[in-house]
Amino acid sequence: MSANFTPPVNEFRHEALLYAGMADFLAGTVPFVRGGVEAGEPVLVVESAAKIARLRAELGSDTGSVVFADMADVGANPARIIPAWRDFVNQHAGDGRRLRGIGEPIWNGRSPLELIECQRHESLLNTAFATGDPWWLLCPYDTAAMDPAVIDEARRSHPYVTDGTTFRRSNDYRGLDACSAPFDVPLPAPGVEVRELAFDVGHLGEVRGLVGRYAEEAGLPSLRIANLVVAVNEVATNSVVHGGGKGWFRIWRDAGALSCEVRDSGRIDKPLVDRELSAAEAYGSRGLWLANQLCDLVQIRSLPEGSAVRLHTWLKPAPAPAAAHHRGIDSIL
Amino acid sequence: MGAYGMDRYSVGGIGNIDLVPGTGGQIYADKQLVVLRTTSPDGLSFSGEIDASNSHAVGTAISSAQVSDRNIHIEVAGLLFCDISGIRAFVSAAEALPKGHRLLLHGLPAQLETVIEVVGWSRMPSLVICTCEGD
Repeated sequence: MSANFTPPVNEFRHEALLYAGMADFLAGTVPFVRGGVEAGEPVLVVESAAKIARLRAELGSDTGSVVFADMADVGANPARIIPAWRDFVNQHAGDGRRLRGIGEPIWNGRSPLELIECQRHESLLNTAFATGDPWWLLCPYDTAAMDPAVIDEARRSHPYVTDGTTFRRSNDYRGLDACSAPFDVPLPAPGVEVRELAFDVGHLGEVRGLVGRYAEEAGLPSLRIANLVVAVNEVATNSVVHGGGKGWFRIWRDAGALSCEVRDSGRIDKPLVDRELSAAEAYGSRGLWLANQLCDLVQIRSLPEGSAVRLHTWLKPAPAPAAAHHRGIDSIL
Repeated sequence: MGAYGMDRYSVGGIGNIDLVPGTGGQIYADKQLVVLRTTSPDGLSFSGEIDASNSHAVGTAISSAQVSDRNIHIEVAGLLFCDISGIRAFVSAAEALPKGHRLLLHGLPAQLETVIEVVGWSRMPSLVICTCEGD
């Protein structure tokens, strides 16, 4: 620990752990988990299945009170991670009890779209836990596997940074106000032909019809189609109710995803509007919350002319014909 | 267009609220929703689609149905789509009932159950989702 660093006591300690490779990862995380266990602190580790297996092996019998969760489940859509941490904090905090977590939302297999939203998630963690019970969240970043730009962004989204032995404040941290500011990173133009539709309250059924037809053509199973129709309808309804009474809908399908976009002239001011669900919340927030539960990735942007929400459903590649044929014969025999 | 569009339901006038309480017949109809009074069980049957354009009709239809039983049976198997405002309208109608009275939803599509769960309204004592046939 560097001589001039005083660890924060009564605030959310959101800290990036910069490591290179598995041995380095274990050297940085095992003492962190052990320290929590020895202090009687609840510990939640949200990591890949492979890293969880290695951590369990290293920790041995020390894992008694530690809870492990697979980031591929919890954080496939990164907007579901803050609610998971919120549940953990609500469940265990209070009476001055301290908590620890490890969360690695960014790994090498994240698509470019997912990466942007994961980075937004990292910034929003500061907003989400700026007030309330203090706790310590360690976010590992593999410097050996990641683009240097990803590590640079980790220094901007985390107020604290460590290599596992030296702890310090991040000089590059963008600060709470910037983390909470409206997100206006441009959305890429669709690479294929899109279908467009202007809508108001009387045309929500047409929007649903388009979504249903595209989803059927994409070969999605019926429950996923129904969920997507519900999600798009709620976001479009937000435009009708909160976004100036009308909106513009676009839908397109490329090799990897079925994507829908809703734009309107309204502003989305609450940075956590899609990741917090409270009984007192306004009608609109449930729609964006729902979209995050039902879609693989949701991108929300505040733009000069209004707001844009994109809802992506990943399309699994169809099995190779030869393999499918082979299985078919096997099942007949 | 299947179950996702609104053009399958062309019953009644467009956007007209057509309340005929207590007649045992049609209580409400617009271009995407029809509400009928049922007597066995005592309640209402909703068919079509509910969204922001017509969810106001849910509470109006239920309160005007004059069901005397403590349990109001709502058949929703014919509900092809219901948005959050529609679900909220059913929840509000259930909450507005006198103490001890309940709203029982029959034939709720599995997908709607998912939505009710996700938005956190699955533990309403006055709103009962019936899964058994004919209860």
